[in-house]
Amino acid sequence: MEQLRSLTALLDYAKRIGAEKGPRKVAIALAEDAGVLEAIEAARKEGFAFGILVGNGDKIKAEADKAGIDLANYEVVDERRGEAQVGLTAVQLVSSGKADIFMKGMIHTNYFLKALLNKEIGLRTGKTISHCYFHEVKGYDRIFFIADAAFNMYPDLKTKADILANTVGLARSFGVECPKAAVLAAVEVVNPDMPATLDAAAITQMNRRGQIKNCLVDGPFALDNAVSEESARHKGIVSEVAGKADILLVPNIDAGNMMVKALVYFSENKTAGLILGASAPVVLTSRSDTIEAKTLSIAAAVALSVFKG
Amino acid sequence: MQLKNLDFLLEKCKSAPRMTLAVACPQGDDILEAVVDAAREGVVDPVLVGNRSRSEAIAEELGLDLSGIAFVDEPNDALAAEKAVKMVSSGEAHLLMKGNVKTAVLLKAVLNKEWGLRSGSLLSHLFLFQVPRMPGVIGMSDGGMTMYPDLPTKVGIVENAVWAYHRIGVECPKIAALAAVEVVNPDMQATLDAAALAQMNRRGQIKGCLIDGPLALDNAVSAEAARIKGIDSPVAGEADMLLVPSIEAGNFVGKVMMYMSGGKGAGVILGARRPIVLTSRFDNAETKRLSIAFGAVLSMS
Repeated sequence: MEQLRSLTALLDYAKRIGAEKGPRKVAIALAEDAGVLEAIEAARKEGFAFGILVGNGDKIKAEADKAGIDLANYEVVDERRGEAQVGLTAVQLVSSGKADIFMKGMIHTNYFLKALLNKEIGLRTGKTISHCYFHEVKGYDRIFFIADAAFNMYPDLKTKADILANTVGLARSFGVECPKAAVLAAVEVVNPDMPATLDAAAITQMNRRGQIKNCLVDGPFALDNAVSEESARHKGIVSEVAGKADILLVPNIDAGNMMVKALVYFSENKTAGLILGASAPVVLTSRSDTIEAKTLSIAAAVALSVFKG
Repeated sequence: MQLKNLDFLLEKCKSAPRMTLAVACPQGDDILEAVVDAAREGVVDPVLVGNRSRSEAIAEELGLDLSGIAFVDEPNDALAAEKAVKMVSSGEAHLLMKGNVKTAVLLKAVLNKEWGLRSGSLLSHLFLFQVPRMPGVIGMSDGGMTMYPDLPTKVGIVENAVWAYHRIGVECPKIAALAAVEVVNPDMQATLDAAALAQMNRRGQIKGCLIDGPLALDNAVSAEAARIKGIDSPVAGEADMLLVPSIEAGNFVGKVMMYMSGGKGAGVILGARRPIVLTSRFDNAETKRLSIAFGAVLSMS
């Protein structure tokens, strides 16, 4: 497939998957929210998703009416035994193969993750679970994948390597055959007093030794050297990744979260996100995300659901 | 965001008596360009302290006119730093600018006990940003003087910033102590420090500002994001300054603004007896000019 270079291209790709293979089934935990329903409705109209709505049937109906959505196009699973059970009922739809994608609705994140990680009916594979934001930013010819800015708070070296592997998988499902990954720190030199730079050096070497595959890793980089070839040249950095990074691996949740939010609020951008490392794609959006962002996240889950590795 | 844009810094420099800027080791193309530009624009009167022959060679190569700019020839970097610092501590110059000299060499001179610029405060870096998508100026500190500040250091960083905001006419800056989330989480040190800073502010231990935290960056700069999260805070959505928890976080936020959001800004080091202008060679010309102007305005009595 051709590399997806914008989130508009991602949407087109999801539509193509829908047309060729039929809509993917999305199990939504606690779908009692007009915003979530509008996002899945947009995906349905584009032909790439079919929503299975789990929660209180009356409340789902009321929210659908509010949004002007006809529930005849959906399957509703009436589940009123509390949020914990809603999560389990929804996740079981995915683990049993009745749905392809697990999506968070209005359910509290704790219950959603408990269901996701449930040993019997959850979606654990033994792999590290991680989050990836992906961004289209004005002025750049490619999508940036930023991990992990949401799930793993202060990952150690091994966890960072796992996060990278998950993210590489997502980038490859977007047609980036050998993604370039920049391991970020505040500076581009190894500094024994800055743990992020030491981890970055180690991950780079792990890639060179074949311990992390299907990608080209370099680090440490400061953010400017990773995204700007001119800045890398000024600093005299010789690297195939410098200025051309697809993946930006951040050292911790504080730095990552602030970077992602700076992009969302300060730059001209489109942004969406996914949870990776489970046996099926997982859509976890925040209440404050736009409907477009939620629909784009579903499109990404659709792309990942047909990716064969 | 009580400041709407940064142009007032340049206007103030042009209308007030000119400040004298001592530049330690000006022998670098980006530094000379910035200094000549600031002199030509009437922002400051520079005094260059460093390697004269190399500076003149660079100026000639770049077509820069150094005539009329005072020069103290001192080819040794450490001695040039010393002379530049002494000019400021003696009152001959009003503020200092780091040229093509290692930060450690310059700071050693700044921190000299006899003739340096120590004030007893810690040194911190404050950067004011302006990006097209935001309705006003957003400050950020610390820009990397302390890599991983603890709570007392964060208090010092806030106090330095509050001093600077007062000097540029913001009487009660709204400061957001940032973390990745807006709730206190015992496993996330940044959220604990943020809560402590907010309470210290309420108890009058940190004055002249309004601090709230923890806030995530979206809650700090967008009233809408704060509303959706149900955050009731006078700082949310209106922050003048973002207090960042680590050098990585600050670096990423700053670089997103400068490289990926079409921003410009003004940055200085605070906490010495006089401000120290610090520019990066990658700053655009406007950012360099604004940084010099910011330092000059802070130096005015």
